[in-house]
Amino acid sequence: MGDRSLDELLASANETIAAQSRELERLQADAALVERFREALRVAATGAAVGSPVSHTRLLEMVVETAVHIISANAGALLLLDEESDELVFAVAVGGKSEEVKSFRVPLGHGVAGLVAASGQPMAIAGTDSVETAQEIAEGIGYQPRSVLCVPLFYGGEVVGVLELLDKLDAEAFYPDDIGALSLFANQAAVAIAQSKAHQGALGILRSALVGLGEDAGELREVVREVATDIEGDEAHRQEIELARLVHEVASRGPEERAACKAILRALAAYVSSPAGTRTGNVG
Amino acid sequence: MSGSGYRPAFSEAFNPDSLPILDPISPIEDVSEEWAWGGARGRGVRVGIIDSGVEEGHRMVGPVDGWLAASMAAGDVRLSSQPHEDAMGHGTACAGIVRSHAPDCELYSIRVLGPGASTGEAFIAGLRWAIENGMHVCNLSLGTTKKAYYAALHELADLAYFRNVILVTAANNFPISSFPCEYASVISVAAHEGRDPETYYYNPMPPVEFGAPGINVRVAWRGGGTSLVTGNSFAAPHVTGFVARLLEKHPDLTSFQVKSVLRALAANMRREEL
Repeated sequence: MGDRSLDELLASANETIAAQSRELERLQADAALVERFREALRVAATGAAVGSPVSHTRLLEMVVETAVHIISANAGALLLLDEESDELVFAVAVGGKSEEVKSFRVPLGHGVAGLVAASGQPMAIAGTDSVETAQEIAEGIGYQPRSVLCVPLFYGGEVVGVLELLDKLDAEAFYPDDIGALSLFANQAAVAIAQSKAHQGALGILRSALVGLGEDAGELREVVREVATDIEGDEAHRQEIELARLVHEVASRGPEERAACKAILRALAAYVSSPAGTRTGNVG
Repeated sequence: MSGSGYRPAFSEAFNPDSLPILDPISPIEDVSEEWAWGGARGRGVRVGIIDSGVEEGHRMVGPVDGWLAASMAAGDVRLSSQPHEDAMGHGTACAGIVRSHAPDCELYSIRVLGPGASTGEAFIAGLRWAIENGMHVCNLSLGTTKKAYYAALHELADLAYFRNVILVTAANNFPISSFPCEYASVISVAAHEGRDPETYYYNPMPPVEFGAPGINVRVAWRGGGTSLVTGNSFAAPHVTGFVARLLEKHPDLTSFQVKSVLRALAANMRREEL
């Protein structure tokens, strides 16, 4: 300490303070973002009855993007089970030549994805000498992966699809821990996908998909930001949410208000859905 | 009732005239590796690989002694004893691991996974064939989560148990309910991180009772190649191999004795205290 002047000490202290306040600002920005996300989810939950803020396809893309990001993979794909034909259908792919994968199908039991779907067992393979092993992926994504991690998507105790990641970044193979993490995520995602399919509003559902990953909220920042932007950017959707808010406001006043609101809206719905020529002025 | 000849169901087996006389085995804690499988190579033991098929002639697999493929045709299961290929590599991997422990065993490829198969019905048909056609031990590195097959598979697992056909199953890689690995009548195996293929552990907290290597292990794969894999699928065949060796030396062991011997020789047994 004796070697350093008071000025130097002060400068050092100031530097520390500056670094700390930068960190504080960053944390506050994170907190603000999380808060913004929460608000988006709340609004979306309210608006779920009148419109889906995120398309089903976008939700599937987000699932794969998030998985690729969390597990540090080069590419990923989501395949959903077509029970009619017992085939897996490529739904979305991220990375690779993803625009080429549409409508690609893998028979159940064929290749890594088909085997994972048939057995319900997650699988990690790497260093495969045989190029045929991951042929369905190679064809679907447009290149031959060095390592593959594939997990089933379970919904209601049944396999509904598989989530497949390709080429662990900076490693020869996916880590054993990745299998557990991706399996967990896939299960969350399966719930989201099934619910989205049932037209329950994708954003409210994404919340359940992300519940299991709550502690890693920072990791998901990019995805969250995109979601929030999607919502705010869509004027039609904003109006639908405004409608939902009005309904919520009226309905929360009591059972009579709720009944009246319902009767009015039902009559209005019947009115607007009838052929224009048959409409009468009476909406009561 | 006395002297009438009436006996409750199943009691004939215990009639002094027909009561079978059993050969003793050593007290279970005295069982040694030498007694169990010292020098054994699985000779004369038929091992069913119920999987995606086995690639015959792969350098880590060698010959395949018998074939069965179950596939679906117009809603019905069709069985074929023609030689087939491995649909993806998984069955070849399992067969290679079994072969590494029991080089002289007879391998049977029972294909229930692959295009045209991969249904619960095909799986059940393949397993039934194995039990009824002389397999001594079967490797099942697969399962189903569909409740619809619970009863049928349970019945088959019990049938195997009573016939002393040992079913070695891989636990599901994800903690979700699946069959047949959760039944008490099978030997259920999960992966441990160790590298030594001879080291396995007993888990006193079932349903998964044994642990064997299965994390980042190099295995045989289709096309004559190898692959670096992780999964409980690749742990089960180690135990299948041990059972093949055990049954060469002790072909009359019952299902429950096999499990007891495996437990007695597990690496986490304090054998020095015996």
